[in-house]
Formats: sequence, structure tokens, C-alpha cells
Amino acid sequence: MSETIDQNTFEQILEMDDEGDNEFSKGIVFGFFDQAESTFDKMEKYLADKDLGELSSLGHYLKGSSATLGLIKVKDACEKIQHYGAGKDETGTNDEPDQEVSLENIRKTLTQVKKDYKEVEDFLRRYYGEPSS
Amino acid sequence: MDLNKRLFRLDIENNKSQPPPLNFTMVTTPPDEDEDDELSPLKLREESSKPSQIDLAKRVDPVANVQPFDAALSRIYRHTPTPTVVLDASLQVVEVSDSHLSFAGLSRDVALESFICDICPRVIPALDIATLYGALRAAITSRDIQHVDNIHLPDPNSYYSLRITPIYEKSTLLYMTLEAHSITKKFSNPTNNHHSYVNDTYKVLLDTVKDYAIFMLDTRGNIVTWNSGAAILKGYSARDIIGKHFSTFYGEEDRLADKPGKELVVCLREGKVEDEGWRYRKDGSRFWANVLITPMYEFGRHIGFTKVTRDLTERNAAEARMIAAFEESAKLKTDFLANMSHEIRTPMNGMLLALTTLMEAGLTERQREYASIIEDSTSLLLQVINDVLDYSKLSSGSFSLHPDAFSVDNVTGAVVRNCKSTLKPDVELVSYIAPGFPLQVEGDPLRYRQVLQNLVGNAVKFTDKGYVKIQTSFAEDMADPTLLNITTEVFDTGVGVPEDAHSSLFTPFTRFADSSTRRYQGTGLGLSICKSLAELMDGSVGFRPNPEGRGSVFWMTTKMRRVDIKVPLRTLSPGSLVENDEDIEAKIHALAPHKYVLLVEDNLVNQMVMLKLLKNMGFARVDAAWDGAEAVRLVKQQPFAYNLILMDINMPILDGVEATQQIRQMGLDVPIIALTGNALKGDAEMYMAKGMSDYIGKPIHRKQLTRLIWKWIGT
Repeated sequence: MSETIDQNTFEQILEMDDEGDNEFSKGIVFGFFDQAESTFDKMEKYLADKDLGELSSLGHYLKGSSATLGLIKVKDACEKIQHYGAGKDETGTNDEPDQEVSLENIRKTLTQVKKDYKEVEDFLRRYYGEPSS
Repeated sequence: MDLNKRLFRLDIENNKSQPPPLNFTMVTTPPDEDEDDELSPLKLREESSKPSQIDLAKRVDPVANVQPFDAALSRIYRHTPTPTVVLDASLQVVEVSDSHLSFAGLSRDVALESFICDICPRVIPALDIATLYGALRAAITSRDIQHVDNIHLPDPNSYYSLRITPIYEKSTLLYMTLEAHSITKKFSNPTNNHHSYVNDTYKVLLDTVKDYAIFMLDTRGNIVTWNSGAAILKGYSARDIIGKHFSTFYGEEDRLADKPGKELVVCLREGKVEDEGWRYRKDGSRFWANVLITPMYEFGRHIGFTKVTRDLTERNAAEARMIAAFEESAKLKTDFLANMSHEIRTPMNGMLLALTTLMEAGLTERQREYASIIEDSTSLLLQVINDVLDYSKLSSGSFSLHPDAFSVDNVTGAVVRNCKSTLKPDVELVSYIAPGFPLQVEGDPLRYRQVLQNLVGNAVKFTDKGYVKIQTSFAEDMADPTLLNITTEVFDTGVGVPEDAHSSLFTPFTRFADSSTRRYQGTGLGLSICKSLAELMDGSVGFRPNPEGRGSVFWMTTKMRRVDIKVPLRTLSPGSLVENDEDIEAKIHALAPHKYVLLVEDNLVNQMVMLKLLKNMGFARVDAAWDGAEAVRLVKQQPFAYNLILMDINMPILDGVEATQQIRQMGLDVPIIALTGNALKGDAEMYMAKGMSDYIGKPIHRKQLTRLIWKWIGT
């Protein structure tokens, strides 16, 4: 799981739990699940609308929270979506003038990030002793 | 006696005009050397020379009333040891005692049948004829015994009182007895009557004194007498100096300041004046003198001054030698202490190291217990040695302060945490800091902490239940507004300090606590080190009993410099880089409850995490805003409330950079830290250029954030 979750960052969240329960971290993680799923839905919608600006913004938004939880793969993918949406290449250094290329890149990345997300979601649900969805 | 005196005076007044019946040729008025305290001799003398008279003879009939003096009874008076004269109503001597004859040196024949006033008043004894006459008169009119006191006889030098007893039969005066009682013993100091003798003696005395210049000044300060001590000390002969003003001995500066004149004024006002200073000899050389000037009065009239001058040059040199010797020995002592402590510390460190290794070597339970006893004792011993080192450094004056900007509140928090481990379960340890206490002051944080740690450590050590309370307040220094007088008081409900120990509390190596029990360990140096350290910080330490009854209040005052905290950009000082994370975390924890933070974050997950993070760091007051616009609104409501703003960059409605710009436009310089996912170098510079103070990349790590917050709101 180490390439999917940054252990230090996630442990920091776990450390915030009061002794004896994991209410806080669990709340955060499950809050993130809701956030991620609704964001992916929005992304699909804006992808259909070809709204690169909104896609970039959503990428940035989810990047922040996934980074906070140390979900590296999700975070990296979101960052790519942010860059593609801003009309750049995946690292954000070079411009990508073709909107269609950007949209296509986002579509691919979104498909991949949903898989990555599912993987980490299953892992985390097991971690908190909940059945995977 | 007052009444009689009055009668006596009255009588003299009344009879002034009457013709003199007496023969005054035999009466000699003695030179009035001894004064009657209450009667002016001058007046008496004057009145006695005037015609004075009594008409006693007209009032009594001597022939009709005087019975023949019974021979048997007259023996009483003849042989009484008290010198006694018996007069009849016409004031003729009818009997005189042998003792009186020998006292007066008269023969019986001469005395008997004499009129009392014909006898020399000296041998009666009486001061003079007028006094005697007045007293007789008073005795007759008052029909009561009269005393004439303080009659001085020059040869032999003695004092008498005369008792005059009128003896009446109904309204008829029969006799009067005059008895002389010696009261010489009461007057032990007869010198005042030996002017010439005394003068001579004094002159010899004054001239024999060679080490003191003793001389007299007239009322204006001109020299009138000169002794040989003065001649030796000042180098002037009597002929040189008499008639000159005593300011001759003073230096130019003193003369210009009219010090001599002022000394005389003070001398008259205070009754004496003493001075030390340089005085000059005739040859121009100077000596360090002690001078005592006393005003002289004669009959209440100021007639001049006496001046005594001593040469203290030699004494001062001796004092200086003693002080030097003392300082030398004190220095040797502290050097010795410092060396010894140093020498002991080195092997101690070896022992501690070996001990640590030993304790990790898989000891049995029992062995571990012994080892931990060794460890405890060793650390106590180290504490002792460190105290001694501090003490010797302090007393040798080689202790220096390292001023730095720091937060008193933080230091207090650190001390509180440090002492929590030794706090007994029934004791509450709390600290209060005055509202508006400056965030930062400039002083030596280590030394301040050392004193506070010591005071709080003591309070915790000696308190079994109740509370230990630290209260810190400040006031602007009256003399220098850039200085703050900081008062830190430590209240406890512990064992207190017995009254007899109050004065020795801050004396090195005194420990009142061990007199009764060995319960409390310590060197007895702690408070004395505190005292020295506080003094080094221009302050002091002290003690008073806790006004709430039980326990003590130890206080310390220090002077700290104000620090202008409005520094828009700050870099981490090299010192703070080496501070370890636990330290900073502890410091933040102490500081946090007093700080108000605004968190601006649009992502719920991030906001929750950040809020939790801040709460765990000890921040109790944190506002959260969902976007830049809300943040600006909150800041507008309470422009100066927030001590720190944590600002996300990408946010809907108003992003972090714009929000920051708007906040800066309000003229606020609150630190704003960017929370950014785009931790690129150029971005960071752009944020700073737009008014942000600093930035931190996401994901945010606690230690990183702690350091950053410390950088901005800590030291």
C-alpha cells in the first residue's frame, strides 16, 4: 500500500484520534470518500461539457484533501487533471494548446484515478472494519 | 517651693520702699558664681542692695512672748548633729548647736544674741542676706517650713539646703529654727565652679592631644584658639592662623561652593555637623579629614564653634588594605569552588555514561532499583555542582547575560510543564499573565527561566495540597519608557517559611527545611542564585507569607526591554533552528491558548484536519472561513483580533492571494501563512510579494507547521 498512501501523512491523521477510538480520523476519511465520489461525478459532467476550467479547479480541490490524507496516487492524478484543465501538460510546465488533447488526457486520468481511489477506499474501509462498498 | 518663692518675691517687692532697719555693712554679697536655677542672681544682687525691711518686730512682741529657754530642752538644740540656729521672734539668735558653730567657725559668744542678719549669710548658710530674709519672711507669713536649696559653699566645696521652721503658739511666733542639711552628694560635678582650674586643665588636655586638631571659631568662623594637634596636623602656628577664617583649610572647589559657610549654618540648625573630605595644610599638601563642628553657647547665647579635625589618611589606607585582603580571599574561595566543581563534573559525566550503559545491560529488577538510586543521586549531585558553579560564577562577577527577544508567557509555560511531573496529586499548578502583556521582551530568557524554575520548583516541592500559582504582570519603567518592570509572583499553599528564617532565606547554604527533616533535598544555593540572577537582571527577589494564610509568596522583579514586534518579515534565527521539535511544540502549546487564529480553507476535509491539528497544538480560539471573501469579512469585523491567519490559495469567490491583499490594505500586519498545494518556488515568491508572510506546502505536517507558527508568533 506504500505507493498508494504516504504513511507519515496518514499516521499524522491517525495521531489526531483521541486515545481508544478513531472517530476523528474515520470521520475525515469517510468525509473524503463522499467528497471524492461527488468530485468524480462533477468531473464526468464537466468533461461532457468540455469545461476545462472547472475540471482544473476540481482537480486542485481534490488534490488538496487527498494530499492531506496522504493518498499519493489520487493526489498525483488530481494534480494532472488540474494541469490538463489549465491547458498544460501533465507536469504543468508546458502548454498544451489543443483542448481536445487536454480533455482526452483528463478522461484517461479520471478513469485511472477512479481505479486508484477504489483501491485505497477498499483498503481504508477494511482498516476501519467496514465492508467495502 | 514655688509658692514660697513667689511669696518671697512678693515680699521683696512690697518692702522696697521701706527704710532699712539693718546694718548692711557686715553683709557681704558673695560673687555670684553658682546660680540658683530659678532665681536670677543678678536680680537678687540688685535687690539686696536696695533698702529692704521687715517689720517683724512690730507684729510680735519679743519680750512678752519669749519664754526663758529651758535649759534641759536647749540641750537638744545645743547637741544636735544638724547645724542648727534657733531664733526668737525678734530674729535674735537664742541658741546655736555645737555642730553649727564648728560648721560656721564661730564662737558661741559671738553667735548668741546676734541679730540673724548680722551673721555672715555664708555661715548660716544662705546665699545672701536677701534670700535669707525672704525665706524668713515667707516662713513667718505662711507659718510653714521653708527650704532654701542649692546653697553652695566654696570652701570646702559643698552644697547645703537650709530648712527654716517657724514655731508658733497659736498665732504667736515663738521661735524659728534654721537647720543646715548637706546635699553635697547630689552635686557630683563641681567643675563648673572652678573656672580657672578647669580652664587650665582643659588647656593642658587640649595641648597634649596631638592627633586631633581642636580649636574654636567665633560666630563668623574665624579661628580664636589653636592647639598643638592643630599646629602639627595643619602646619600653621597659632600666630599664623588665629584670626583667619577656617575656610583656609578647604580646597578651592569647596570654598567656591561656600561649603564652610554652609557647614556652619547646618551646624547651628542641627546642633552639630560632621564631614569627611580633603583639607589642606599650610604647605599645600592635603589629607583626608574627618571634621566635627559643634556650636558653643554661653548662657544661651551663641558664642562660636568648636571644631575637631582628624586625619583619616592612615585609617583609609588601612581600610583599603583590609578590603583588598578580603576581596583577594573571596576570589580565592570562588576560584576554588569553581575549580572543584569543574573537576568533580568531569568524572561525574563518566559515571553517568557508565551508569546509562549499565542500566541497558539487562539488569534484574533488584539491580535496576539500585541502579536507579545511583542515577537519582548522581543527578542530584550534578545539580549541586551546577549550583555551586553558578554561585561561584555569580559571586566572582564573571556571570554575563545574553539578551534576546523572548516571550515571558512561553517561558512560564515551559516551567509549568517542567514542574508538572513533580507536582503532587492534590496540587493545582496554574499560571496567569496580565492582559496586554507584551508578546516579546528583550532579556535573558535562560536566566529568567532559571529563576522562575527555581521558585516554582521550590513551591511545587514544598506544597502537598492546594495550589501553586504563577502570576506575571508588567509596568512601564518610570525612568525609561523602553524598559518594562516585570513582576513574577509564585503563590503556594505549602509549608511556608518560619518567621526566624525570613531574613536568611536568600543567604547561600542556608536551608531552613532540613532543620527538622531530611525530606526535602537541595543545596541551599537555589534562592541565593535566584537573588544574584535577579540582581543581574536589574531586579530583585523576595518573600512574603501567603496572604491567604498558609504557604508562601516568592516574587521576582526584572527589567526587560520592550521589543517592537511589528516586523513585517522575519527569518528564523540561527538559534531557533537548533531548537528541537519537542521544545518548540511545548512552547507553542504554552502560547497557543492566548492566540486567536483564522483558518481559511475551502476543502472540508482539509479544514477538519487543520482545525484538529491546531486544536492539538493548543489553540483554543480558531475561526474558520470557507473562502477569501468570508475571511476578509471576519477580519474586518475584528481587525486586530487575529494573531495568525492560515490561508488556502485556491478558493472559490475570492482566492487567498486577493484576500491577503485586501487584508493588507486595511493596514494590518498580522502574519498570513499560505497553505498551498503548488509549492513551486516562483509561486512562493509571488505570494510573498502579494503580502503573504510565509507559506507551507500541502500536505501539511505537524512539525513543519509547528515550526512555522513558532517562527511567526513565538520567539
